[in-house]
Amino acid sequence: MKEDHIMEMNLKLAKSTLSTAVSKAREMGRSCSIAIVDDNGWLVALHRMDGAPIPTAEIARDKAWTAAVFRLPSSEVCRFGDPRASGLGFNVQNWNDRLTTIPGGLPIRNGDHLIGAIGVCSETPEEDVILCQKVIEEMSSMIENTQI
Amino acid sequence: MEELTLELALKMLEAAERWAKDIAAFSCSIAVVDKAGAVIAVHRMDGAAMATTDIAIEKAWTAVAFKMPTLMGSRWLDPRNMGKLIGDHAMGMIGRGKGRLCFIPGGIPITNEENEVIGAIGCSGVPSGVGDISDTSVSQAGVTALYE
Repeated sequence: MKEDHIMEMNLKLAKSTLSTAVSKAREMGRSCSIAIVDDNGWLVALHRMDGAPIPTAEIARDKAWTAAVFRLPSSEVCRFGDPRASGLGFNVQNWNDRLTTIPGGLPIRNGDHLIGAIGVCSETPEEDVILCQKVIEEMSSMIENTQI
Repeated sequence: MEELTLELALKMLEAAERWAKDIAAFSCSIAVVDKAGAVIAVHRMDGAAMATTDIAIEKAWTAVAFKMPTLMGSRWLDPRNMGKLIGDHAMGMIGRGKGRLCFIPGGIPITNEENEVIGAIGCSGVPSGVGDISDTSVSQAGVTALYE
């Protein structure tokens, strides 16, 4: 992590992340919705590709929100609901209707520093995770090497 | 132009953002929705308040749902119109649309050659009352971009 490099989400970073994601989704032959949120889970940019079902937009946003506020991939959030773990009770404390445990939301980091999160919703959660990972891989070099 | 695509939506957002940045000099959120009122793309400019994304989406949704600019609807809700003429206000609109109805000026429907509504653009975050600078004029810049 370098101090003078991208440390927080901005629209420029969100836009280039989205265009990367859209082109990757086209390569995979999928129509999906992609949401980018900042480090506090607030929406910065959202794109719904042509042909993607209407609810995918909101689900993508939910996934990104969950990944940002828990600082975890959205799929790992369900571990708090494991009855064998001390975090049980999570299910009844589902106070925010954005909370989701569907895989497909990943935090975007610069080193240890959380910048924001990406949420993808297309046909299957497995594909969403793969797409998220590809995008984050592609963006990491930009995040680490671009001056603010 | 029969249908709003992601590509067209991004073209509109680009122009509206440029107008907001260079002419209005305010950061705002801009949303484009399709003819169902479903989000195609949302952008929140750097520095715009976090809640403006949702309001921009709601304005665009309202513009599609009522097939008219939200500016027109906000006249209905103007308390100064109450009592002037019977039926000349629509205070009962408040709270309609499952809470999504937003008659704040800034949403403009987009029509095709047959004058059918094919989508809408909404903007939030620009204070009104400063001459020509308002949410509506940012949205208008986005609509104009469709015809360039």
